[in-house]
Amino acid sequence: MSIITDHILSWVTFVPLAGAVLVLLLGRSKTVARVTALAVAIIDFVLSLHLYKHFEVGNAGDQFVEKVAWLANGKIMYSLGLDGVSLFLVLLTTFLGPLVILSTWNAINDRVREAMGFLLFLQTAMIGTFLARDMLLFYFFWEAMLIPMYFLIGIWGGERRIYAAVKFFIYTMVGSVFMLVAILYCYYQAGSMELDKFMLLDLGRTEQMWLFTAFALAFAIKVPLFPFHTWLPDAHVEAPTAGSVILAGILLKMGTYGLLRFAIPLFPEAVLVLGPWLARLAVVGIIYGALVAMVQKDVKKLVAYSSVSHLGFVVLGLFSLTVHGVGGGLYQMLAHGLSTGALFLLVGVIYERRHTREISDFGGLAHVMPAYAAVFMFVTLASIGLPGLCGFTGEFLVFFGSYTSTLLPGAKLLVVLSVTGVVLGAIYMLWMYQRVFLGKLVHDANRDLPDLNLREWIVLIPILIFIVLLGVKPAPLLERMEPSIERLLEPVMRIAPESDTHHALTIVPDLQLVERTEDER
Amino acid sequence: MNPMTPEIALGSQMMQMLPYLVIACGGLLVMLVDAFVKSLRKDHLSMLTLLVLLGAAVAQGLSTFRDVTLMNGMLASDLYTHYFNLLFIAISMLTVVFATSLYDRDGRFRAEFYPLILFATLGMMLLAAATDLMSLFLAVETMSLSVYVLVAGNRGSLRSSEAGFKYLIMGAFASAVLLMGMALLYGQAGGTSYGAIGAAMAADSGSVLLPLACGLILIAFGFKIAMVPFHMWTPDVYEGAPAYMTGFMATGVKAAAVAALLRFVWLMLPSLSIVWFPLLSVLAVLTMTIGNIVALSQDSIKRMLAYSSIAHAGYLLLGVLAVLNTGHSAEAATRTVEIASAAGGAVLFYLVVYALMNLGAFGVVIYLSRDRKTEADAIAGYAGLSRRHPVAAATLAVFLFSLAGVPPAAGFAGKFYIFDAVVKAGLLPLAIWGVINSLLSVYYYLRVIVVMYFKPAEGDLHEGTSWEVAFTMVVLALLVLLLGVVPGALFDQASRTFAHMAF
Repeated sequence: MSIITDHILSWVTFVPLAGAVLVLLLGRSKTVARVTALAVAIIDFVLSLHLYKHFEVGNAGDQFVEKVAWLANGKIMYSLGLDGVSLFLVLLTTFLGPLVILSTWNAINDRVREAMGFLLFLQTAMIGTFLARDMLLFYFFWEAMLIPMYFLIGIWGGERRIYAAVKFFIYTMVGSVFMLVAILYCYYQAGSMELDKFMLLDLGRTEQMWLFTAFALAFAIKVPLFPFHTWLPDAHVEAPTAGSVILAGILLKMGTYGLLRFAIPLFPEAVLVLGPWLARLAVVGIIYGALVAMVQKDVKKLVAYSSVSHLGFVVLGLFSLTVHGVGGGLYQMLAHGLSTGALFLLVGVIYERRHTREISDFGGLAHVMPAYAAVFMFVTLASIGLPGLCGFTGEFLVFFGSYTSTLLPGAKLLVVLSVTGVVLGAIYMLWMYQRVFLGKLVHDANRDLPDLNLREWIVLIPILIFIVLLGVKPAPLLERMEPSIERLLEPVMRIAPESDTHHALTIVPDLQLVERTEDER
Repeated sequence: MNPMTPEIALGSQMMQMLPYLVIACGGLLVMLVDAFVKSLRKDHLSMLTLLVLLGAAVAQGLSTFRDVTLMNGMLASDLYTHYFNLLFIAISMLTVVFATSLYDRDGRFRAEFYPLILFATLGMMLLAAATDLMSLFLAVETMSLSVYVLVAGNRGSLRSSEAGFKYLIMGAFASAVLLMGMALLYGQAGGTSYGAIGAAMAADSGSVLLPLACGLILIAFGFKIAMVPFHMWTPDVYEGAPAYMTGFMATGVKAAAVAALLRFVWLMLPSLSIVWFPLLSVLAVLTMTIGNIVALSQDSIKRMLAYSSIAHAGYLLLGVLAVLNTGHSAEAATRTVEIASAAGGAVLFYLVVYALMNLGAFGVVIYLSRDRKTEADAIAGYAGLSRRHPVAAATLAVFLFSLAGVPPAAGFAGKFYIFDAVVKAGLLPLAIWGVINSLLSVYYYLRVIVVMYFKPAEGDLHEGTSWEVAFTMVVLALLVLLLGVVPGALFDQASRTFAHMAF
């Protein structure tokens, strides 16, 4: 076992890739490809549980570290590490992996082998991105993610899939090539590609501004932050269900993760100046995304725009630069991964049956598919942040953290504005629900729709369980995240104005805080 | 090249010359066999040619005595020649395989191809080794004359004849410019050896003729590597030539010209850097940009790859500029050595990676071609390729992603090293422009992938029966991926090689 446990991060990262090669080699049988891919994804999930089990609570630094010289006489390392911030994102990835593969069982019938291969390849790239502690390695995984996603959208997508796939690819590339130049610049200054060495850089203010801008652009496009969001609705609508789930569930988190992991700790001075602007853009995105979602005719597009809105909360939380705000943002990332992932799965369920996603083609579905309607309601409530479900905790912490932030000018106004996003969110989600599920059954085509089948239940139930768990028991997550978050915020705190530093570092014991709110409810 | 390098005894010199001699004699032998042996099949000739190349590679691998000049200072024999000779031999072998498979489908073959490709290879090898203006010129002509004929190799095809003729005229013009530059240089330096010229450069104080001579020679090289504004011939010639020759020119001829250019540039540094550096920067930027922008709208894959090869010449020039910029920086000498060898190494590394991915792409084109007259040239014809030829589509996708510089393919590593060197040499704006360009290029490479993977099948492509080309494609694709993940060993070798040549 020790050969596995000693290199657990590499195993978790590369087992899917090995699985992808295996699937491609195993031959043309669709069932074999599906079963193999599913088995590999489950194995990967089990491996990742080791990380949770042996994660040392209270340790802010990287754990399970692996370092091997890669290039340039060890100036570039194969360096993996896992801290409280990466832990749950990796778990989310490995958790959604098998569910996504299961969801494609009937939806993808063409070129199954390739689809499974791309899904597994994508999983390796995503996990690697969360674990890389060397900038070149990170960039390597970051870019490698594009290729499988591009094919997933382009081959198995909807009508305008080619446009969406190319737009997705090029849009993301635009951001990341400038990041590459910034990375090269820092590499030249630091003499090493390791993240730890980058942290020690002593950069001037102007330098920081440019570098932060280059990094933030790459991440803002990925989030996507308003006004860089236009690729998202296209990609989501055209992607197959599996692609949408991964896109919403994990890929979008790459952007916010990158902001938190790299942009904020590496360039603290620039963060203090430019961060508030990003927070403002985030608030614009919250409201804009919600308003646009409200007028959508297509359920999938509506969910896509709701992502723009929800990710706005995350970015607002990050740039509050308080432990609560950032923690809330991270929590919201996980919650959004679950609830929006589930929403896309549910949209996929109805699309498989009716081959339409137009709201006006439905109505009164609750009569024929009661279980489906109930699950949809449940996830809708989670998505709009009902207390007790996963969406609430994150949003609450974001608002709390941002409201008390002293480093974010006009924080209170921003919070007030963004709260309207929550209200709007409830409106568009419930209104959509009403039009799809309630009322009379007007379309004959909907009369004989079968309810959820066993496979769909198997896909959904784990997500539903975690939606509740994250809602009622945030402590196990927060206590693992927060030390790492403090560590990532530390460079900013060090240079923040003296009085603010004191305030921002005053930590209200979180567990009590959250439990109290639960009780009040 | 260090002018003080000792000459060695004639016998040892012959050992060092062995790779060149093997190829030269082999070329003659192939020619004679073709003329005198009856009932000859093309398999015989191609096997013989491959054997000659293999023999040269073995001879090159066995030669251990390095860092000497040969033939009274005409040629160098060092790590640098070793590196390039192996690269050229490999490129030629692939070209022979590709060409033979196409002749197979044609039913007829062109015996003159085999000796000519050997002579062209000889010219390329001599070009990388030349340390004297005389040997430089002879090498350029040996290479070019063979290639002129080979470009026009599709007898009966008007485009091929046009391409050959155009390349001949342009090449003659470039040779004339080269000779003019050499004449001026000789007049100033009083000798033709690089050693004498280097000494004259060092002693020079503000003469006009030296920079002018350098400029003329640079223009001649510009023609060969398709630098803007001397690139006009490239698209027509690349499109008109048979696909295997296009691949050969884009990788081999270009690599040879860059090899000679680097040697020359390092020698001419004092004169060059001040006068020509700004101009060369502008030309590098234009080369990248024009190549990429025009490639965006191409419907022929050969033409697209032709423009993309112009763009890649631009990236290579960035590396050359990084070498140049370190040469006159005021920083400590050790620093300069480190950066210059990183930059030179990046160029050398890029040439190998570019050869792999570009030859691979042309290999797929050849694999799918029915015969020499009907090559698989139209991008639209690749529709649905991923269903009909999953392997061909997958390997072409790997090569295209690599050309676009997306990890984990080797093209990313190549660009990474180039841009890294450019940043280290203090040329940040050029690096930024470089990445913007590689962004532009993504679009046209993706277009082919879109057609192959996302469009339904239509049109007809050759069924692709040639196992040797298929095998080559797969090996090249695996190499591209391998070099993308672990580029370290080759890059270290490349930068050691360059440092050896330069210091």
